[in-house]
Amino acid sequence: MAYSSERSQEARRGFLDPRTKLALVLVLAVFVMGGLGGEALRPVKTILSALPFALLLAERQWKRFARGILMLGIGYGLLTVMPFLPRALNYLALLCGGILTRFVVTVVMGEYLIATTSVSEFISAMERLRMPRAITVPMSVMFRLFPTISAEWKSIRRAMRMRGIHLGGAKASQVLEYQLVPMMTSTVRIGEELSASALTRGLGGPTRRTNICRIGFRAQDAVLLAGCVFVVGVWILELCGVRLW
Amino acid sequence: MKTDNKLKGRDLINVGIYGAIYFVILFAVAMLGMIPIFLPLLSVLVPILGGIPFMLFLTKVKKPGMIFIMAMIMGILMLLTGMGPWPLLTCAIAGLLAEICFKSGEYRSAKKAVLSYGLFSMWIFGNYLPLFTDYEGYFAQRADYGQAYIDAVQKLMPLWMAPVLLIACFVCGLLGGLLGRALLKKHFEKAGLA
Amino acid sequence: MVELNNVSFRYGVEESGNLHEASLVHVDLTVQDGEFVLLTGPSGCGKTTILRLINGLIPHFYPGVTEGSVTVNGRSVQERELYETVLQVGTVFQNPRSQFYNVDTTGELAFGCENRGLPEKEIYARIDDTVRRFGIEKLMDRNIFRLSDGEKQKIACASVDVAGSEIILLDEPSANLDYSATLDLREMIRLWRARGKTIIAAEHRIAYLWDLIDRAVILRDGIIVKELCGAEKNALTDEELSAMGLRSVTPEAPDEIELPALKESDRTMVLRDFVFSYPGAKQPVLNLQELRLAVGEITAITGANGAGKTSFLNCLCGLEKRCRGTLEYEGKRYDRKARQKLCFMVIQDTGNQLFTESVLDEVLISLPKEIAGGKERAAELLKQLDLGNFLDRHPQSLSGGQKQRLAIACALASGRKLLLLDEPTSGLDYAHMMETAELLNRLRDMGTTILVVTHDSELIRACCGRKLSFDAR
Repeated sequence: MAYSSERSQEARRGFLDPRTKLALVLVLAVFVMGGLGGEALRPVKTILSALPFALLLAERQWKRFARGILMLGIGYGLLTVMPFLPRALNYLALLCGGILTRFVVTVVMGEYLIATTSVSEFISAMERLRMPRAITVPMSVMFRLFPTISAEWKSIRRAMRMRGIHLGGAKASQVLEYQLVPMMTSTVRIGEELSASALTRGLGGPTRRTNICRIGFRAQDAVLLAGCVFVVGVWILELCGVRLW
Repeated sequence: MKTDNKLKGRDLINVGIYGAIYFVILFAVAMLGMIPIFLPLLSVLVPILGGIPFMLFLTKVKKPGMIFIMAMIMGILMLLTGMGPWPLLTCAIAGLLAEICFKSGEYRSAKKAVLSYGLFSMWIFGNYLPLFTDYEGYFAQRADYGQAYIDAVQKLMPLWMAPVLLIACFVCGLLGGLLGRALLKKHFEKAGLA
Repeated sequence: MVELNNVSFRYGVEESGNLHEASLVHVDLTVQDGEFVLLTGPSGCGKTTILRLINGLIPHFYPGVTEGSVTVNGRSVQERELYETVLQVGTVFQNPRSQFYNVDTTGELAFGCENRGLPEKEIYARIDDTVRRFGIEKLMDRNIFRLSDGEKQKIACASVDVAGSEIILLDEPSANLDYSATLDLREMIRLWRARGKTIIAAEHRIAYLWDLIDRAVILRDGIIVKELCGAEKNALTDEELSAMGLRSVTPEAPDEIELPALKESDRTMVLRDFVFSYPGAKQPVLNLQELRLAVGEITAITGANGAGKTSFLNCLCGLEKRCRGTLEYEGKRYDRKARQKLCFMVIQDTGNQLFTESVLDEVLISLPKEIAGGKERAAELLKQLDLGNFLDRHPQSLSGGQKQRLAIACALASGRKLLLLDEPTSGLDYAHMMETAELLNRLRDMGTTILVVTHDSELIRACCGRKLSFDAR
């Protein structure tokens, strides 16, 4: 069977539309981390908090799931043992536990988003959301450069090692300088060449971009988005003094 | 060739290039901040080290909008990594202030560049906002831990910490700006990058 | 049709008084539809500048002062927007690593069309057509970062093909490619030729294209010195070519060069138990129980990309933690850490191994600390390597060839006896390649053992005495 790009793009489609994931991140951040709605929405928030973990499992991201659970466990663990600790450690455990439990749910949701969304899917979603070019172009360049920066960093570290410059062999500030300067020089050079190449392929033209990446809402997106709407709805009702339970 | 103030493809790519370097530094420091004790360090190390790419970036900024976009993108990335929507707010404000400041120096003044970066760096405070907002609400949720708990917390994360962190962002931003300019002179100008 | 009429050009910004010397002087060039023209000449001759004038990067990306007119299909490039010109002109650049914008291959092919706002259905059709014609099914839907340099260049060419421009420019596309990847590139260009595309290529390595082109335009210092076609072109000998500063037109695979890995009379060093694999890989990339190499000679290391040549150098240098194994050299055994002090490696991205703010400082940090009179010694070394006038320059502002000489100066300063080089001449023109060969010969005469990973047959012929072949397992 001859190669069909349309077919293979369809096959590579993610489980959820990136826009759904974005909505979930937002809802979780505002309600769970931000505490909007307070005590009254507690049961809703507990279900919401479980969502990122459930999604990680659904998409077989075992390692990230395990890491998330671990962080959650450490957080609540610290808060539990805190009253039994001597004064100084007490405050420490409190601080760590408090911060961890505050952030962990949304951070795990963020991890889920990053782990399961390809760059092209993400850019495609942003373009569908009518995000201005001024945002999508720099962001796509950034995603493109992250692996490059990582590779250049490693290459420079190696070269430094070869020439005998490393922590222990030279001053710390010098090591940092010797690491950062070539990394920036090479990243900027690569960025410039990238820029020229992209411009010769029409980037920056006046027409609205199209995108071959397949995204779109399906049943699972509808369910989750309905859930988000529900949460917001409950909150609004609660504001108006109507309590559902 | 008429030079207008419209942002061209090249300008947007520049935002991307320097944004990428800045974010990598931000991320590296944030990894350190995984240990919650070091969270305040975010407001110190990121402005200082981030000054290195940012000052080089400012040499490419000759039109309005680039700094603001850089700030907004940081905000969006914070949202995506699970730090919530508050950074978006601080990014918008900090970005705007930095833009106005830099423009007032006609995109050429070194002093205004450093000041601008100091203002820009204040966006980082957005990451701390959730710790200070919904103060009572959050800890009321934990009422089952007892009043002692609430006292202890109010001692540890007092409201006066907030402006301290904000000012730290600004001051360390100024330091970072100076550091960035020093490296500009020492390296990047001679290397032909600036 | 492309027309350059009495074009002169200087890079730089007029207002700041920062104009460079003229890159092009009164150049007249006309390329008819369907013609395949080669632009060649020594470094700095202006061939890349001509390409940039045609695809619009001058003046929209590279500022400068242009005199004369440049038109593509009758329309002036200067007066049109870049995105309009590139509808008709596609460009393939030299560096495989920095010309792709997307992270996945299929997206990269679609990029040009997406920017133009073509409907998705049409883009799918075009991609499928290009993939079929170029035979690159295996490269689809993959992470570009994981491809070899040759594969990356194929994607770059395919991307231009999907966009469908009638005029195709190529700026030293084979500079970083090994022999077989260069042949693949040639095949893609041949397919374009057969479709009637207008092709203009700037190249140093002219051998792989010589029989495909209609016309060769030879430049020097911004002026066209000769134009050749047909019989006249085919009659050129290698001597005449080198006299013009050009490389040979006879393609030769490094594998075809007959050189022993070792001669009876050689002093040898022995590598034992060199085993190395990438994390998660089932097969080791390197599996050498015992390998003997000549001491005091220049050994070329050849083989296809991906066969592990660079890994070999990294392991030899002691930079790969996962590689155990020892080196016996001059009667002593060297483990990994010891080898770090014995070997000096000049990597392909020379910019990544230069750290200081001046050429002099760079050499100074490689001098052993105990030596007195360090500055004088360093300056002397640099003079010997033709960098005496550059002592205060920032290392990152030097040209590629100069950076390399600086790296070699640091190697000399360090006093290490084993010099490893990774592709030192990719992208260099004839004169600079010969300079490098001569430098290596001098170093060998001083007693340094040199290993060079290279796919440059002419370099091997010019200075290598031994050859070690790696084949992909």
